[in-house]
Amino acid sequence: MNSKKLNFKIVFTIFLALFLVALTVNTGMAEEGAEETVAVEASGDAGEVAEAEEEVASVPYEEAEYRNFFGIDGRLIVWIISQLHLLFAAFVLAVPLFVVIIEAIGAKSNQIKFDNLARELTKLLSTAFATTAALGGLLAFALYGLYPGFMRYMTDVFHPYMFVYALCFFGEVFFLYAYYYSWDLLRTGTGKWVHVFLGVMLNVFGTTLMMLANSWATFMMAPAGIDMKTGAILDRGAAFHNFLWMPVNIHRIIANVAFGGFVVGAYAAVKFMGSKTEEDKAHYDWMGYIGNFIGLAAFIPLPFAGYYLGREIYSASPVMGNIMMGGAFSWTFIIQAILIGMMFVGGNYYLWNGMARIKGAERYTPYIKYINIVIFFCFAVWLTPHNLPLSGEERALIGEQYHPFSKFFGVMAAKNAVVNLLILSTFFSFLLYRRANKGQTMPFKSHGNGAKITMVFTVGITIAYLAWYAMGLKGQDLSEVVKPYMSPLLTCITIQIIALICALFLTLANKGKLAQTLLFVVAASISVVYFWYYGFVLMEKANMVLRFLSVTQVSIVISTLIVNTVIDVFLFKNAKEVGGIQWGKIPNRAQYALLLLCVAIVTLMGLMGFIRSGLRMNWHIYGYMQDKSAGAFTPSIAYMGWVVSLIVFLFLALVAVVFWLGSLYGRKEKHV
Amino acid sequence: MKSFLKSVVFTLCILGFFVFVCLYVTGLSGGGGGGGGATGISPEAGEKIYWGDGQCHTCHSIGTSGSATRGPNQEGLAARAEERAKEAGLSSGLEYLVESIVNPSAFVVEGYDNIMPKVYDAPIMLDREQIQAVLTYLQTLGGESNIEAVAKFAEKIPEASGEAVAPWLPPIDVDIKEGELVFFDESRGVTCSKCHVLNGKGSKVGPDLTGIGAVQTPEYLIESVLKPSEIIVKGFETMYLMTTEGMAYNGLLVSQDEDEIVLMVDEDGVMEEYVFYPDEIAQMQKQEVSIMPGNFRDMLTTKEFYGVIMFLLSQK
Repeated sequence: MNSKKLNFKIVFTIFLALFLVALTVNTGMAEEGAEETVAVEASGDAGEVAEAEEEVASVPYEEAEYRNFFGIDGRLIVWIISQLHLLFAAFVLAVPLFVVIIEAIGAKSNQIKFDNLARELTKLLSTAFATTAALGGLLAFALYGLYPGFMRYMTDVFHPYMFVYALCFFGEVFFLYAYYYSWDLLRTGTGKWVHVFLGVMLNVFGTTLMMLANSWATFMMAPAGIDMKTGAILDRGAAFHNFLWMPVNIHRIIANVAFGGFVVGAYAAVKFMGSKTEEDKAHYDWMGYIGNFIGLAAFIPLPFAGYYLGREIYSASPVMGNIMMGGAFSWTFIIQAILIGMMFVGGNYYLWNGMARIKGAERYTPYIKYINIVIFFCFAVWLTPHNLPLSGEERALIGEQYHPFSKFFGVMAAKNAVVNLLILSTFFSFLLYRRANKGQTMPFKSHGNGAKITMVFTVGITIAYLAWYAMGLKGQDLSEVVKPYMSPLLTCITIQIIALICALFLTLANKGKLAQTLLFVVAASISVVYFWYYGFVLMEKANMVLRFLSVTQVSIVISTLIVNTVIDVFLFKNAKEVGGIQWGKIPNRAQYALLLLCVAIVTLMGLMGFIRSGLRMNWHIYGYMQDKSAGAFTPSIAYMGWVVSLIVFLFLALVAVVFWLGSLYGRKEKHV
Repeated sequence: MKSFLKSVVFTLCILGFFVFVCLYVTGLSGGGGGGGGATGISPEAGEKIYWGDGQCHTCHSIGTSGSATRGPNQEGLAARAEERAKEAGLSSGLEYLVESIVNPSAFVVEGYDNIMPKVYDAPIMLDREQIQAVLTYLQTLGGESNIEAVAKFAEKIPEASGEAVAPWLPPIDVDIKEGELVFFDESRGVTCSKCHVLNGKGSKVGPDLTGIGAVQTPEYLIESVLKPSEIIVKGFETMYLMTTEGMAYNGLLVSQDEDEIVLMVDEDGVMEEYVFYPDEIAQMQKQEVSIMPGNFRDMLTTKEFYGVIMFLLSQK
C-alpha cells in the first residue's frame, strides 16, 4: 500500500513538473519572448545606465495599464481564474435548472426518489456555490489588479449594471439557502409547491446573473453603443444588449445544462464504483442515468446553438468570423470535433451498456453495431481537416495541394451533414434505450383527446416555424444569378412539411412507428444525403446561399426530433413492460463512459473559452481598445493544450474536494 | 479509495490524450500561424501577410491553395487586373489593385457580396508598408512584381487607422555617424562593407543595402545582424561543395552553367572566387546557414551595434 502511495505521489509530482516546464518553455511563450531577449541582451549595459539615471531623476506618477502577477504573465493568471470561475458558475447555474424539474416531477408523481435526488444535488450545489463566489471575487481582483486600464474603461461603460449584478448575487444567495434549508419545512402539500417556487426564483436570479456577465464578455467581442474612435459612451443600453449577447446567452444556458448533467453523472459514477451495498449501487446507477440523460438531452441541440452563435459572430464581424473558421483558430475546431466526437461515442456507449440492465433490450442490441459504424464514420469526417498537410513528395505525387478524396470531407458542407447524422443516430440510440423494456404499445386513441391535442399542437408549431423560415428565405434580397439556388431549399422544406402532416395522420391512425420511420427517412435523405451534395454545388456556384442551407438543414432535423419525441412518448405510454429495469446491474466500464463525458465537456468548455476570447486577437475590445500588453499574442495550440488541461485538472480536483466536504455532513447525519 | 484513484488515472489519461492532440495539431498547423516575421516591401513579405496577418486568404484562394470562396480566386490576378483597368479607364492593373484595396466597394466582382473590409482599418489594420508588400505579391500572380511602381502609389494608401505608432528608437543614445564609420571601417577584421554594397561603396558578396531603411523594419535588421541564418535573402544561400578529391568548400554561388560553377569563398576574412568544373564535383547542396558571421554580438559594442542599425534605417 505504501509503495502504491509513493508511486502515486511520484506520478503526481512528475505531472505537475511537466506542466510547469511546459508553461515556461512552451513555444507560444518562448517565441514571443525571443525578440525581447535579443534586444535586452544587446542593450545590457545601456539598461544599467538607464536604471542609474532613473534612481536620480524624480519620477512622476503614471497610471499602470498592465501588471504581472509576481513575475507570472497576467494573462495566464486571468485565463486560469476566469475559466475556473466560469466552470464552477456553469455548474452552480445549471444544476438548479434541472433540480427544480426533478423535484416537481417527484411532487407530481409522489415518488420520493426524485425528491431525494433533487435534495442530494442541491447539497452539492450549496458547497460549490461558495467556491464559485470566491473564484468570482478573485477574478475581479485579478482583472482590476492586472488589467487596470482596461477595467477602468469597462467600469465606465458598465458600472450601473455592476450594481444590478451585486443585487442579483444577493438574490441568488438568499434563494439558494432558502431553497436548501427549507426542504424539510416545506415538504408536503402546498408547501412543496412554495418550495418549488423558491427553486424557480433561484433560477431566475442565477440566469439573470449569468446574462449580466455575458454582456460584458460579448461587448468585448462586438462592442456597441460607443464611439469606436474615441470610446465615448453613446448608448449604455446598446453596449449591454450588444449583437452577440443573446446568441451567447442561449448557447451558454444549453451548454451549462449539458455540463451540469455530465458532472452529476461523473459524481454518480465515482460513487457507484465505491458503493458497497446493492442499494447504494442502484441509487447511484439511477443518478448516473439521470445525469447522462440530462447531459445528452441538452447536448443534442447544442451544435445548433453553436452554429447560431458562429453565424452571428460572422454577421457581427466577417473578419472575426474568418479568423474563427478559416484563420488562426480553424485548427482548434478540429480539436473541438475530436472532443465532441468522444462525447457522442461515450454517450452512446453508456446507453448501450445501460441496456444490459433492462430485460427485453436484447431485441435491439443487433442494431447497435450499425449505429456504432455510423457514429465512427461521422466522427472521422468531422475531424478531417480540409487542408490535410501533405509533404512535398506527396503533393508532387497527387498533383495538387489537397488530397483529391479527403478534401471533400474537410469542407463545411460535409461537416454539417455528418453532425446532423450524428444527432439523428444518437437520438435513435436513445429511442432504442427508451423502448428496451417495452412490449405491446397501446393504441394512440386510448390516450384520449389530450394526446391528440398535444400531437396536433406540436406538429402545428413545427410546421409554423418551417413555414415562417421558408417565407423569410423567399423574401431574401438576392441577385438574379443567385436566386435560383434558393429553390431547392424551399422544395426541401415543403417536403418536410408534407412529411410532418403525414406523420400526424399516421400517428392518429395508430401507426406511430411508421410515422417515426417516415420522419427519420425524410430528414436523413434531405439533411444528410441531399444537402451534403448540394452544399458542394453551392460552394462552387452560389456561396452566399450556404448560410441558408445550414439553417434549413438544422430546422428539418430539429422538427423531426421534436415530433418523433412526442410520438414516442405516446407510443410507449402505458405500454406493456417486457421486464423491469434492474438498477445497479450495469458494468463498471459504463461508469468510465460517464467520467469520459464529464472530463470531455469540461475540457471542451476550456477550449471554447480559449476560442471565444482568442477571436479578439490583440484587442481587449474588438476594434476599439487594443491589447498592448506582453501577452497580446495568440498562444500556440500546444500552449493552449497545456493551460486548458491544467485548468481542467484544477477544476476536477476542486470539485472532488468540495463534494467530499459536502458528503461529510451526510455521514455525520447517518451516524447520529 | 481504489475506485477514486482509478478515476483520477483515467482522467489524467484523457487529459494526456488532449495535450497530445494539441501538440500534434500544432505540429501539423505549423505553430501559432499568423504572419509574424513579414517585414519590408517584397513579394515574399507580401505572401506572408496574405496568408497571415492580412487574413486575405480567409476570403480569397489562389488556384488550389486555400479553400475560401467568399471572394474571387486570385489566380492570374495581375493579368485580369490589366483587363479590368482598361474597362474602368484606369492607367494600369496596379492602379486597379490599389483602388480595390483602398476602396473595396469600388469594383465588386459580379456574383460576390460587397463584404471586403478596409484592411487598413480596425481590426486588421495593415500599415502602408504591409499593403505595399501585398501589392507586390499580387503582381506576381500572373505577372511580375515591380516594387518601384508600387512605391509610387504609396501616398494613395491610407495609413492604419489605429493610434500612431511611435518611431523606433534604440534603447541607448547613439550617433548615426559612428554607425556609418563602423559600417565602412576597413581596419576591422570583419566589416559590413566587405560584403555589402551601400550607395555604390563596398563589395557585392551579400545583398545590396542601398535604401534598406525604406523597406525593412528595425526588428528585421537587428535579427539579420545577430542571427544571420534566420532569414537568408533569396539568391544568397550558402552552398556546400565537395570535390572528388575530398576537399569541402562553403560559399556563395556566383554563377552556374554547364561548363563551370563559381563559388565565393571566405578565406580568412577575404572573399575569393573559386571555379569548379563539373567532373571534379562529387557533391553540392544548399545550406541553411548563412555565410555571414554570426558573432557580431561579440565583435561590436552595444553602442556600435545600434549605431549601425540606426545608420541602416536612415538609408531611405
